[in-house]
Amino acid sequence: MLTGVFFLAGIGILGFAIYRRGFAGYRPAPEGLAQLHRSEAAFVESVAEVLFPSRMGLALAGIDAGLTQSIDRHLDALPRSKRLQIRALFLLIEHLTLVLPGDEPGGRARFSSLTAASRISILERLAHHPRPLFRLLLTALRSIFVLGYVGHPANLHRLGLAPFELQAAVSDAELLFPRIGGLPSSIVFADADRTDPEQASPLDPHGQRHRAYARAASTPRGSR
Amino acid sequence: MSVAAEAGPGMDTASARGRVRVFAQYDQSFAERADVVVVGSGPCGAVAAYELAAAGHDVILIEEGPPFTTRDFELDGPLSMSRTMREGGLRMTRGTTMPTMQAIALGGGSLVNSAICVRPPDAVFDRWATRFDLERTDRAHLDPHFDAISEFLGIAPTPEAVQGPRNLLFRDACDALGVASEPIARNVRGCRGSGECFTGCRSRAKQSMDVSYVPAALRAGARVLTSVQVQEVRRSGHRVTGVAGQVVAPFGGETSHRFRIDAKAVVLAAGCTATPVLLQHSDDLANASGQVGRNLQFHPGVAVAGLFPEVVDPQFGATQGYQSLAFLDEGFKLETLWAPPPLLSIRFPGYGAELQASFAEIPYMAVWDAIASANRSLGRVKARWRSLEPRLHWQIHPDDVEILRRSLVVLARLFFAAGARKILPGVQGLPEAMTSPEEAELLGSEAVRPEGMVMGGNHVFCTTRMHGDPTRGVVDEDGRCHDLENLYIADTGIFPQCPSVNPMWTGMALARRQAHALAGRL
Repeated sequence: MLTGVFFLAGIGILGFAIYRRGFAGYRPAPEGLAQLHRSEAAFVESVAEVLFPSRMGLALAGIDAGLTQSIDRHLDALPRSKRLQIRALFLLIEHLTLVLPGDEPGGRARFSSLTAASRISILERLAHHPRPLFRLLLTALRSIFVLGYVGHPANLHRLGLAPFELQAAVSDAELLFPRIGGLPSSIVFADADRTDPEQASPLDPHGQRHRAYARAASTPRGSR
Repeated sequence: MSVAAEAGPGMDTASARGRVRVFAQYDQSFAERADVVVVGSGPCGAVAAYELAAAGHDVILIEEGPPFTTRDFELDGPLSMSRTMREGGLRMTRGTTMPTMQAIALGGGSLVNSAICVRPPDAVFDRWATRFDLERTDRAHLDPHFDAISEFLGIAPTPEAVQGPRNLLFRDACDALGVASEPIARNVRGCRGSGECFTGCRSRAKQSMDVSYVPAALRAGARVLTSVQVQEVRRSGHRVTGVAGQVVAPFGGETSHRFRIDAKAVVLAAGCTATPVLLQHSDDLANASGQVGRNLQFHPGVAVAGLFPEVVDPQFGATQGYQSLAFLDEGFKLETLWAPPPLLSIRFPGYGAELQASFAEIPYMAVWDAIASANRSLGRVKARWRSLEPRLHWQIHPDDVEILRRSLVVLARLFFAAGARKILPGVQGLPEAMTSPEEAELLGSEAVRPEGMVMGGNHVFCTTRMHGDPTRGVVDEDGRCHDLENLYIADTGIFPQCPSVNPMWTGMALARRQAHALAGRL
């Protein structure tokens, strides 16, 4: 009987320790996130900080590029099954260092709790890991962040890669179908509004870029 | 000439609009009846629906995705993918891991492809005829269908004015090495060179199905139901009686009201990966041959990025404007390529400041790709548990790996011939950047392993293949299932082998022929 109590108490203490080390103590997530929990938001910020550390090359650092919000938006747009896969990826890498710690002292901690140097070291180890699965995990993680970072309107505008500013055409699709979610009665176009694409001329390669992207680039932190 | 004018006067806009149903209109379960129900509004389904409606038949065209207007297009590349592609654009094959995509939108893949139209060379059809007991699937029989579609969609070579430097550099490179090349023919009228084919053409120059064949079908009297998912093909004896399924919310995928459509004939044009799953879900329909879901083939593609000394303004120009068919005999085709920059920037190596600095090189970048005629690499499609999404297993054959290695070498030579200062081959285990043709010869070596190549497989074939022998194929030359009198399949699943070139036009030509055959039997 007593042995059983000690055993259960031991399990409880161990569980509490694992919880504290692995899952407790995250600061609140930024407001307005649809998908990312506080632990995931902390992880995203910690990766963004080392992948895109400062205003080098491009104007915005990862944090300024609103990567947490951008990744949250992309997650929100994905089907549930894919969202779960990405969440699992974040969870795995966030806690991988508890099992396979970095070389530095204090390396046995959550990824987001490590120093920037330790986090880079972990990412590099994954990138050159002999097992393809680990390399694949890193490739997937890195891709998610690069997509969000380069895709920031301010960064695209500053690279000269923002979409062109152009007047959207009116075709049969705009005449026959409402916007997604709307009723046919919401269609605002009539036959007279139809545009003929063959009357349009090629764009000027150096012509005006999308206004929303230019606006983002002109604000101090490139807000979206 | 506008599509409406080409399609004949037909119904006016208000009447045609009244024949479309969208998600917001479904408030209860429903049942309808038609002569023919066509499942899937991609290029093949849209052509079949139009041809049958124009022949005077009562047609219902069904699409699981919503219709997109220009105001629904999302300029953010990854976000656009998650809205227009099944599984958020993150579908992967197993076996040899490779991303592959399938659109979910009115117009199917034509909404977000780069509109490439290529007729396969005679040799492809000769191979199909001799190996698959086909008598009427050759250029002589199919050219009238290719021609009719070309006229309808205005298929024409990409004009020089919208090629932009990154496409013309490819032409110059081919000229320098004595390799034949040509502007890509596309179903586009009045391209402005915005380079945004993959996120939806805001200029509506691209004649995707939602602005061409689907409106023409509506004006010819067809009905179009969007945001409905077919879950079952209903059968009675040797005939099918229609389809059944549920309304499905755009993007979220939540299902709601049920529907049933009774029809004299059913045309499945749900796509090469969805059609076999639907048949498997329908009590393994049309599978006496055991070939449903088998023989899966792709055109696996690889791409190389080249960085030039001068800015090439890559955002301007046709998304894919130039190609070379000079290597078809060796098993690959070369093309130029552009995509939303965030997707292309994944290729840049490094971390931190080094990575950020490297992004400044994107304006100097062109990307060229090769697609391989990988007809020795096979796989299969199976339904996932309690899902209509497919599980794809596919294994690349060593001979096809060799083709891809050779194509990487050719792409590298072309880049250096065009004056690139370095290339990013995107092959794991090799240097991330190469600065000379000599160094790039490494791309032809066994150091390039299948798991190290960044491949994409967006042309999918053969999962319900056409064969003259009913024991070895699923459909006959008219696309009719060998097992069932009135069930037809019209998508690239009926191709007996991969066609070596972009498949859209061939699929449409076959669908047009099938529709004419079916119209004569109704």
